[in-house]
Amino acid sequence: MNRRPRVGISMAAMTGFLVGVTAILSLLLGDNPALFGGGAQADALAQDFALPGDVLLRLLVIVLALSIVFGIANLLIVHTRRVAHGRLMSGVLLASFAGAIGWHITRRGDTSLLETIQLPIESALAALLCITLVAGGARILARRSDIWGLLFVLVVVVVLLGSLPLPELAPIAAFSDWLMRIPVQAGARAILLGIALGSIVVGVRALLGQDRSVRG
Amino acid sequence: MAENTLALISFVLTLMVFSYLLGDLPLIRHLYRIAVYLLIGTSAAFTLIVGYEYLLLPFWQDVQNPATSWTALGNQADLLLFVTALLFAALLLLKPVTRLGWLTNSILAVVVVMGAAVGVVGALRGTLLPLLEATARLPALDADLGSLLESLLVLLGTLTALFSFHYQANASGDGRRYGLSKAFRTIGKAFVVTALGAIYASTILSSLTILTERIAFLFQYGA
Repeated sequence: MNRRPRVGISMAAMTGFLVGVTAILSLLLGDNPALFGGGAQADALAQDFALPGDVLLRLLVIVLALSIVFGIANLLIVHTRRVAHGRLMSGVLLASFAGAIGWHITRRGDTSLLETIQLPIESALAALLCITLVAGGARILARRSDIWGLLFVLVVVVVLLGSLPLPELAPIAAFSDWLMRIPVQAGARAILLGIALGSIVVGVRALLGQDRSVRG
Repeated sequence: MAENTLALISFVLTLMVFSYLLGDLPLIRHLYRIAVYLLIGTSAAFTLIVGYEYLLLPFWQDVQNPATSWTALGNQADLLLFVTALLFAALLLLKPVTRLGWLTNSILAVVVVMGAAVGVVGALRGTLLPLLEATARLPALDADLGSLLESLLVLLGTLTALFSFHYQANASGDGRRYGLSKAFRTIGKAFVVTALGAIYASTILSSLTILTERIAFLFQYGA
C-alpha cells in the first residue's frame, strides 16, 4: 500500500496555516490605521502589522518570477526533446524563442518584432474568436433549444442589434440599455459575488491544509 | 528592417492564422500551427525578458544598493529575503525527490497559501464588500418610483441568482425542487443567463472590431 509521509504533510499544512494567517491578518489590518484608533501611534502600529505581509509578498513575487523562468526552461527542454524525435513544429517554437531573445539583445528597445509577429497573430486569433462565438451561438439554438438557450440567444441578438447606430433600431437600443443596467448588472453582480465566495472558500481550504497542492 | 518587409510578415502571419477557417486541408493545416508555435516561442521569450528585466533585475539592483530598502527592516534584511527566495525556488526544483517531500511540500504550501491569502483579501476587499454594499444600497426615499423599483429589481436579481448557484437536494432525493425554492431558482437562473448572454454579445462585439481591423489591414496591404 502506498502510504503518505504523515509528518511531511502535517508540517506543510502547519507552515501553510501559520504563513496564511499571518499574511491575511497583516494584509487586512496593515494599511488601516483607523482600526487602531487613529493618530501617530495608530499609524506606527498599522505599519508594524503591514510588515510581515509586505515581506511575505516580496518573497512570493521573487519565487513566482523564478518559477516562471523555470517553467520557460522546462518548455524549452520539452521542445528540444521533441525536435530530437523529428517534430519540426517544436523547431519553429525554439527558433522563434531564440530569435526573439537575440533580437532583444542586439536591438534593445526596438519593439518592431512584437508589433510584427506577436500583435498580428494575437489579433488574428482574437478575430477568429468572433467566428467561433457566432458559430457557438448558432449551435446553442440547434442543440439546446430550451427556454434558457432561447433566452441566451435572444439577449445576445438584442445586445448586438442595440449596438448598431441605426435610428430605426432606437427602441431596441433603449431596451438593450435597460437590459445592461438592470438584469445584466444583477446577474453579473451575482456571478462576481459567487466567484469571490468561491475564492474565499478555496483560500480557506488551502489555509487549513485541505488543498491537494498543500497536502502533496 | 524596412517597414514594407515588416508589414509583409504581418500580412502573411494574419493569413496563416485565418487559414484555420479553411479546415483540415493538406499543407494548409500546417500554416495555422506554425503561426501558433511562433506565437508561443515569442511569448515565452517576451515573458522571460519581462520577468528578468522588470522583476528580478530591479530586485537584485535594490539588494546591491545599501541606500535602498523594500521594507522597514533595512537593506541587510532585503538581501536575506532575496537569498531565501532563491533558496525556496531552488528547492521547488527538488519536488520529484520523494525523500525531500516534507521540505518541498512546505515551501509549496507557503507559495500556495500566500497566493490564497492574497486571493482571499482581494476577494473580500475588492469584490465581496463593495458589491454587497452597492447591492444593499437603496435610493433615497424621495427618489422617483422608477429608480426605487429598479434598485429593488437589482437586489432581487442578485439574491435570486446567488440562490440559484446553491445546490440543494430535496428530502425525497429525486433531484426535483418544488415551491418557492424552484421559483427563486428559476428567476435567478433567468438573471444569470441574461448576464451571460450580454457578456457573450460584448465579447462578439470586441472580436468583431478586431476582425474588421484585420480585414482592413489585409485589404490595405493587398492593395
